[in-house]
Amino acid sequence: MLRFMIRRALGLIPTVFLVITFAFGIIRIAPGGPFASEKKLPPEIMANIEKRYHLDESVPRQYVRYLGDFVRGDLGPSFRYKDFTVGELIADALPASMLIGALALLIAVTGGIGAGILSALRQNSWVDYTAMSLAVIGISVPLFVIGPVLKLYLALKHPWLPTSGWLGGRSGWLVLVMPVLTLALPYLAGIARLTRASVLEVLRADYIRTARAKGLSERVVVARHVLKGALLPVVSFLGPAFAGIITGTVVVETIFAVPGMGRLSIQAAINRDYTLIMGDVIVFSVILVAANFVVDLCYGFLDPRISYS
Amino acid sequence: MSPLPATPAASDDPLTNEFSQALRPVSLGADAWRRLRRNRMAVAGLVIIGLYALFTLAAPWLPIHPYAEQVVAHENLPPSLRPAGELMLAARTAYLTRFRASEDRAGFNAEERDELAEMARAIRTDPVHRRHYWLGTDNLGRDMLSRLLYGGRISILIGLVGTVTSMFLGILLGSIAGYAGGTLDNLIMRFVDIMYGLPYMLLVIIMMALFGRNILNLFVAVALISWLTLCRVVRGQIISLKQAEFVEAARSMGASPARIIFRHLTPNTLGVIVVFSTLMVPQFIMTESFLSFLGLGVSAPLASWGSLVAEGAGVMSLYPWQLLGPAAAMTLFLFAMNFLGDGLRDALDPQSKGRV
Amino acid sequence: MDAEIILRVEDLRTTFDTDEGLVKAVDGVSFELRRGETLGIVGESGSGKSVTNLSILGLIPSPPGRVASGRVLFRGQDLLTLPGPALRAIRGDRIAMIFQDPMTSLNPFLRISTQMMEPLMLHQGLGRRAAKARAVELLLLAGISGAERRIDQYPHQFSGGMRQRVMIAMGLSCNPEILIADEPTSALDVTIQAQILDLIRELTRRTGTAVILITHSLGVVAGICDTLCVMYAGRIVERGPTRAVFAAPRHPYTQGLIRSVPRLDRKYQFVSCIPEGDTEKGPERLASIPGQPPVVVNLPECCPFHPRCDQAMELCRHRHPPATDLGQGREVRCWLYPEGAGHG
Repeated sequence: MLRFMIRRALGLIPTVFLVITFAFGIIRIAPGGPFASEKKLPPEIMANIEKRYHLDESVPRQYVRYLGDFVRGDLGPSFRYKDFTVGELIADALPASMLIGALALLIAVTGGIGAGILSALRQNSWVDYTAMSLAVIGISVPLFVIGPVLKLYLALKHPWLPTSGWLGGRSGWLVLVMPVLTLALPYLAGIARLTRASVLEVLRADYIRTARAKGLSERVVVARHVLKGALLPVVSFLGPAFAGIITGTVVVETIFAVPGMGRLSIQAAINRDYTLIMGDVIVFSVILVAANFVVDLCYGFLDPRISYS
Repeated sequence: MSPLPATPAASDDPLTNEFSQALRPVSLGADAWRRLRRNRMAVAGLVIIGLYALFTLAAPWLPIHPYAEQVVAHENLPPSLRPAGELMLAARTAYLTRFRASEDRAGFNAEERDELAEMARAIRTDPVHRRHYWLGTDNLGRDMLSRLLYGGRISILIGLVGTVTSMFLGILLGSIAGYAGGTLDNLIMRFVDIMYGLPYMLLVIIMMALFGRNILNLFVAVALISWLTLCRVVRGQIISLKQAEFVEAARSMGASPARIIFRHLTPNTLGVIVVFSTLMVPQFIMTESFLSFLGLGVSAPLASWGSLVAEGAGVMSLYPWQLLGPAAAMTLFLFAMNFLGDGLRDALDPQSKGRV
Repeated sequence: MDAEIILRVEDLRTTFDTDEGLVKAVDGVSFELRRGETLGIVGESGSGKSVTNLSILGLIPSPPGRVASGRVLFRGQDLLTLPGPALRAIRGDRIAMIFQDPMTSLNPFLRISTQMMEPLMLHQGLGRRAAKARAVELLLLAGISGAERRIDQYPHQFSGGMRQRVMIAMGLSCNPEILIADEPTSALDVTIQAQILDLIRELTRRTGTAVILITHSLGVVAGICDTLCVMYAGRIVERGPTRAVFAAPRHPYTQGLIRSVPRLDRKYQFVSCIPEGDTEKGPERLASIPGQPPVVVNLPECCPFHPRCDQAMELCRHRHPPATDLGQGREVRCWLYPEGAGHG
């Protein structure tokens, strides 16, 4: 078991490494320096800036310097917001994203699994058909359609919810409702469908027949025998779901003006803020990789065929 | 003991069995088609997609207004069956009425009356005002219906191109990895694993932002993402089929590995591939729309469903149809594709619900 | 052989709704089971033998399947009409069933201890500790050494034969009156098969449990069954004490089956093409019944075996033969023995 964990952990390193290299490479290749959009500055000042940001050194040296800094936890200063370091900017924006991301995941998982199990147990009933039709809608409607539409009906046509803003303002926690809901819906739908299919598959298994042949009540059969096996594919799905939610925060934060990492990244990309872009990409990667790692571990724990072999 | 019995005199017709019952020859494809036909939602999906394909393909020949033509006087007209001129006049009149009310005047002044009269005359004489905009117009007076259809062309095209590219990459690498096994397999799979760990969308966004927004970049960016899962799936299928007996048979007859992969194994994975691809087209369309929404996709005057939604979202409180039209069009298409994909999956997998 | 009858199946019919039509998997099956008797049900795949027994315990998956008619009398109650809780009280406790493939029949995600303790705690009201102790006892009885240690393991940590022993131990844990064993050895190696069969025989003789053994192998039947039912296309075509049936099979199908079992005291040829006229001298060819069992969908009214039967008559093509009692516990369904034709 421990060996399994260590092996998995070691696999993370190449990924993070690759991401850093990729980010670094892309930005250096991209046209336009960080100051191209601003008015031309006098040559001495340009030279100073280049020196300060180490742009005068050769590219490989810059890379090595960056790696060294990274290991020490220093992601460099922001090219755009000259008074702040990348670390500070990210630290500022990260909590917002993590909050809506975590809440969305929670809602998606609990709602999705619940709906999926219910649909499976009442297969082909009206409950099943309604839930699954809603689920197909859920995975078909893109985030950036749900968001504005929700905003249109829940905030503009009927002023029930605030259109934008963040915690600490007048509306308090109500501000969280729409972003979290928008982000959660497609994954709730996806998890519901997956759970339903998985439960149905397990219900057909031979060992469920054995359990029934022993005289167990249907409730016990489902709770004790069906769930464990059925939830495994759902756990596997949590990795990609988490990745999707991370991506989704970009859209949701833009629509609802949430001061999070997604919005920060877009700004960084548009402003060609090299260090901030790299910092964002790396932080996102690390989070994603860590999440996948946790998911892998969970899967390993849940499936005794893996942990006891 | 009696000698071996003679075969009973059954009919010699190959299409009846020993009980003289007619046999229906059933090929795998025919069987799947039959099952698909009975799934009403999937059939509805197929019909809807067919209609979309028909209309978007035929767009240049349909009697609709040019999608890029701007008639500024017709800006932001609501969807209606009445001619544009009338709506334009009504909108202006309403505006002037509100304006005079805010100034506490009972009637229009000379200037305003002249303006409205001028407009009324223009409506009678200029044929452009007799147009009908069934889905309204946008802020530059462009016909929403045309933009939807042309936007659909772009979106669907991207969906298809992306899917085909992914299919190609995924099937190629997946087949090789699955069949070759060993180091090559490991290498390819490690590559896939690492790619899985990257926050793709973010990288794509960044690439698009940095490298500019043209269609080619869009295609490349979008296609690079989704081949991973197909690769894994195909590899899994090939691995399980590799052990199958018919592969042994082919090999014993001297078939080369390439031949085995492409003539024997790939057709058997076809079911999985078809289903997967049907479910990937919506993904691609969503990805492209997502990028367009963020302003990183197609640029004006080209439109895609995503860019239309983005524009509509900006003015949704004032002119909601500019959001709802494209949103509905895109959602319906994705909806139909998902149902079709589900139906195909149930039809091609003989062990689906309810079968014993 | 005069023990009381504990199970009586009367004209059981079970159907399945499939894409191709209505499948009459079990089409009028009747038999009795006496206390302590071992009854073998033999047939090819698709003959309906498993479905019959699943129907007895109400384990037919219900959307496509349905028990259409018939009665299953156990201790005076018709199991087919029992309400849910009452039926569940009998399952696992009075009538237990074990299945063919122990890898898929045991829950891979639960420990053996959990799975074995379930019927003990449910039907016999034992507490956790008592149930576990009893489970360990049962595993030891079933021939699993080191049971105290191994009981907390998972199914995939056992070999195929051991898993089947676990299933048997689990099935017999509440001392049921009837054990239904659905092809318990088909998924196992030949050498293990014998051990498992011995185990079943020994344990059930000890407890006086009646056994319904489903199998496609005549060898298994000859080994441990007192009575034998031969099924074909959803019906029992011949029934009787094993010895008697083997000595003088009545139904052409049974005859064909017995004839096709290779015997150690004969020589056989395995060449597929022999010039005409060579068959009389020297080694024989292995006999087999030509043709295939029918797909049981929309069969017309006829004897389902007639296309493969060397003694088929015109009548066989048009009417289904009723069951004829040949006396001494023997019964056959064949137009060669119409009703009242006398004793065999």
